[in-house]
Amino acid sequence: MRSTGSDATPEQLRAGTSAADAAAWLRGEIRRVREPLLRATLLSGLLALALVAQAWLLSGILAAALFAHEPPARLWPQWLGLLLLAVLRFGLNVAARHTAFGAAQRLTGSLRARLLRGAQGLGPYGLRAQASGDLITRLVDGMDAVLAYLARYLPQLGNAVLVPLLLAIFVFPADWVSGLILLATAPLIPLFMVLVGRAAGGASERRYAQLTRLGAVFIEALGGLVTLRQLGAAERFARRLDGESEQYRALTMQVLRVAFLSALVLEFFATVSIALVAVLIGFRLLWGDMHFRAGLFVLLLAPEFYLPLRALGGLRHTRMDAVAAAQHLSALDAAPSADRRSLASLVPPPAPREVPPEIRLEHVGYAHAGRGAGLRDCSLVLHARRVTALVGATGAGKSTLLNLLLGFAAPDSGRICVDGRDLAALDPAQWRAGVAWVPQQAHVFEGTVRDNLLLAAPHADAAALRRAADASGLTAVLARHARGWETPLGERGSGLSGGELQRLTLARALLREEARVWLLDEPTAHLDAASARTVETVIRAAAATRTVVLVAHRLSAVRSADWVAVLHHGRLIEQGTPLELAEAGGAYAALLEAEQS
Amino acid sequence: MNLPLPPALRRLMAVLYPNRLWLAAGAALALLAALAAIGLMAVSGWFISAMALAGASGAAINYYTPAAAIRAFAILRSGGRYGERVVTHDATLRGLAGLRSWLFRRLIPLAPVRLSALRSADLFARLRADIDALEHFYLAVLVPAAVALVSVAAGLLLCLIVLPAAAPALLLGALSAGVLLPAWMQRRAAADAGQAVLEAAELRGMLLDAIRGHAELLAWGGVAAHSAHVDALAARLDARRTRVDLLQGVTGGLVGLLAQLTLLGVLALGLTAVHGGSLAPPLLVMLSLLTLASFEVIAPLSEALAQWRGTLASARRVFELADASPAFVEPDMSPALPPAPAVVFENARLRYTEDVPWALDGVDLSLAPGARVAVVGPSGAGKSSLLAALLKFYPLQSGRVWFGGRPVEALQGDALRRHVAVIAQETVLFNLSLLDNLLLAAPEADAGRIERAVRLAQLEPFVASLPEGYDTVLGEAGARVSGGEARRIAIARALLQDAPVLVLDEPTEGLDTRTARDLYAALDAAARNRTLLLITHRLSGLAQLVDEVVVMDAGRVVERLPVKDYLAYERIA
Repeated sequence: MRSTGSDATPEQLRAGTSAADAAAWLRGEIRRVREPLLRATLLSGLLALALVAQAWLLSGILAAALFAHEPPARLWPQWLGLLLLAVLRFGLNVAARHTAFGAAQRLTGSLRARLLRGAQGLGPYGLRAQASGDLITRLVDGMDAVLAYLARYLPQLGNAVLVPLLLAIFVFPADWVSGLILLATAPLIPLFMVLVGRAAGGASERRYAQLTRLGAVFIEALGGLVTLRQLGAAERFARRLDGESEQYRALTMQVLRVAFLSALVLEFFATVSIALVAVLIGFRLLWGDMHFRAGLFVLLLAPEFYLPLRALGGLRHTRMDAVAAAQHLSALDAAPSADRRSLASLVPPPAPREVPPEIRLEHVGYAHAGRGAGLRDCSLVLHARRVTALVGATGAGKSTLLNLLLGFAAPDSGRICVDGRDLAALDPAQWRAGVAWVPQQAHVFEGTVRDNLLLAAPHADAAALRRAADASGLTAVLARHARGWETPLGERGSGLSGGELQRLTLARALLREEARVWLLDEPTAHLDAASARTVETVIRAAAATRTVVLVAHRLSAVRSADWVAVLHHGRLIEQGTPLELAEAGGAYAALLEAEQS
Repeated sequence: MNLPLPPALRRLMAVLYPNRLWLAAGAALALLAALAAIGLMAVSGWFISAMALAGASGAAINYYTPAAAIRAFAILRSGGRYGERVVTHDATLRGLAGLRSWLFRRLIPLAPVRLSALRSADLFARLRADIDALEHFYLAVLVPAAVALVSVAAGLLLCLIVLPAAAPALLLGALSAGVLLPAWMQRRAAADAGQAVLEAAELRGMLLDAIRGHAELLAWGGVAAHSAHVDALAARLDARRTRVDLLQGVTGGLVGLLAQLTLLGVLALGLTAVHGGSLAPPLLVMLSLLTLASFEVIAPLSEALAQWRGTLASARRVFELADASPAFVEPDMSPALPPAPAVVFENARLRYTEDVPWALDGVDLSLAPGARVAVVGPSGAGKSSLLAALLKFYPLQSGRVWFGGRPVEALQGDALRRHVAVIAQETVLFNLSLLDNLLLAAPEADAGRIERAVRLAQLEPFVASLPEGYDTVLGEAGARVSGGEARRIAIARALLQDAPVLVLDEPTEGLDTRTARDLYAALDAAARNRTLLLITHRLSGLAQLVDEVVVMDAGRVVERLPVKDYLAYERIA
């Protein structure tokens, strides 16, 4: 992963970097496409030369035919020249545009891939602090803004510098008065653009922020539409949407008005100059101070002189949008990676593991960036072939412990040893390959039930799928859906109830038959008593050849565990066999009593 | 539901109709600017040629009129262009804002029945990206087309007066560049442009998977594979866009080529006429520049039409979504309900689609006012479907749900739901302040009522722990709120709603024993003096809330018995 400057905090990640940093980041990215963009500008330069030749031939034909009274047919070389130049311009036009667009497309493509990796590099904890809708807006819409800037604005910027210069070189010998008018007015245009653009910068940033918020309001309004209806608040939310949309319109118009004002200034100067050139040429022609051919030649080129500058003015908001988008994208690029270890220093865990490992937590401490206790000085042995249950109130640190075991974060203090090796030194991918995990809130991926299961074991065969489905109770769920394994699942598993989803999550974990470590976060949540008992039996049987860690809210699931550890505010306050603890009269006994009352 | 093209277009026009004055004003200004630009070039060409000829022959010439015309056209062009841009963009954004809200309001009655099949990422893409794509229609299709049509017609008219022989050449060139070429390109780009819209939506969904499902992908070792899928899709999408852009470039180039060829044709015909003495030379120069200027009006057309199919695809998707018929036709009037309504299910049958078993298979269940009943049963027994039917979220295939002596179909959904408060296992919190989240249930509640509800829900310690108290904004999906706190917020909401019927749908699921027990007092407070329907697959810990238990299985009521008997029975089993 590339990193510019220092790492960003979660707040900076949300808010974006400063405009100056963003512009610098953008310049750095542009450097990668400098060559094709220069090539596109060069093609535009050739295009301008072809234009000059065309104007010269055209004014020649008209001058000869109208003033020298040449018959048109005698001028065939000029006619032929014009035809060839027209074809040449076509080719150059297409080539210039395609060069710039292709390069821009390639850059944004690789940028999107890199930034997605950067976002993922935040790790499960870091990502939780980010609004996912916001991230997607950045990666899709923000990237489109950068694409427009690269493919349209930058080539036009090159044209705006090169083409007027080239044309001026040819206008001067033909008529120095017109040349002076053009050269005198040309610098005024960028000057005004800069002045106006300064004023628009802030408005553009606000517009982008508003666009992002509009996206977030939409996604949450849709996600919570049922709740809104149930509360009778849908119409009120629609009115909020009206307000946000109206604000977006007002802000966009603020930006656009400034952009259009700069365009007006350009337009005005360009038009007045062309009119001035035309009138001055006209009078000198009347007085006989000038040849018609030179006059017409200059008049044909005068609009072309201003055209690139005008086009640039029209694209002005493209640049503002890109810088605003870059503020958010560059923040993502500077995001701190959750995993700071270099791959070279990592050792593979002893594979293939037939034997379940013993996992030892030694004075493990972990502090969350935000709320929550994390873990403090936890020492615990997770024995092989045993079920170790973690109990405690919500927020006591049970899920944090599982996340540390999964390697999603490294302990701040102490260490976790797997068969005597420090987990921090193991290759996390290989370690996780031997772990099956039931998360508390499973994400359901786009695709079918089968796709979602195969995620855990891409090469599992039909028999393995059936075994996992039978053991988790998913088979009964599939029987209820006409399309069975091919039932499409949407975001948050639309179409499946909470219990059905839990079975899917379980089946996904069970499919990893070779996994010797099972980390189960409330595997029987959402299940009725009968189904829960089935699952508990499966876990019990599996424990014969595995190391099982079970997080449980309900103590009924714990009674069959071999070992129980009670967590409270991140501390391990009690551990022992369920029977011992029940009789000890401590925290576990209190929990037990609470549940039975 | 495949809308043919013209209707989608008509619908779009209909949605834009309220802003028609703005839209027409924008188009008129655009036309003014375009005509001024053409006029400026044409008069300038005529002017210098006439001046040169006068200079050569020593004849007198009135140069005041053309010089004034040049100045007037210059001012009209600049001012017109500015006015056009401001007005057209403002009109578009107004239309878009209206379109968004219009669509959202159309979606409200569709949730959850008709929207359940759509992933919210897809819905999101539809709402936002599709509507943005519709922006294209007025700004880049309607306006340029109108401007090109009128301007070219004006140019042709002038040509017919000055040099009738050249009119066919100009017409041919304009038709080829403005109609034939865009049509050809549009057909070539259709597949890619249309597919790109779909793939962009898919990409959003996959990115959402990559980010929201990152922990799972990491655990299962699927990060690289999923990223490869994302990259492949992005590459496919990028390739399509590149092809469309190339096609646009080629078309733009061809329009330029046609402009040159038309100019050559007009020149050849014009020079012959000048040679034959039937055309004044300055008029030929004017005609040449007029030809070139006309093509500048035609050029944007082909660019715009490359996106035409994409725009239509977006329009069709938006209208398909908006036109889905709601599950219920709401009555115009809602009869008044008694303060303590009874709830009766009468032989209720419900299933979500044809190919799944009945979720409710002839349920008979009555709750007298003030009854406190738990519905228990394994998952899939139909417990949640009871709630869906009661809230009028799903229609029954047969049977009735009576509420306060009226069938629910005869009640307006919103009026009915005001009388039913729900505390569910998943509390949706919005990215609003805590206060606004609470007020969703009762916008008119005053401070006293809110504080009472918060106290009864035992939410006070949570409020005190927040940095800005009630004004603290809760993060996306309630990121900063624990499960227990979220449920207390739901309880406070329900208390604020002050409905005669309260439904608890798995109110303690996912909470640890102690948190669940602590919640009990708040739930008990919320249920006081109300009809209570508790839906759960495990009664443990909540048995004291109810007097009776209804056991459901496979969409039917199996048994209804006092809670004591049920607990005794369960102990034996």
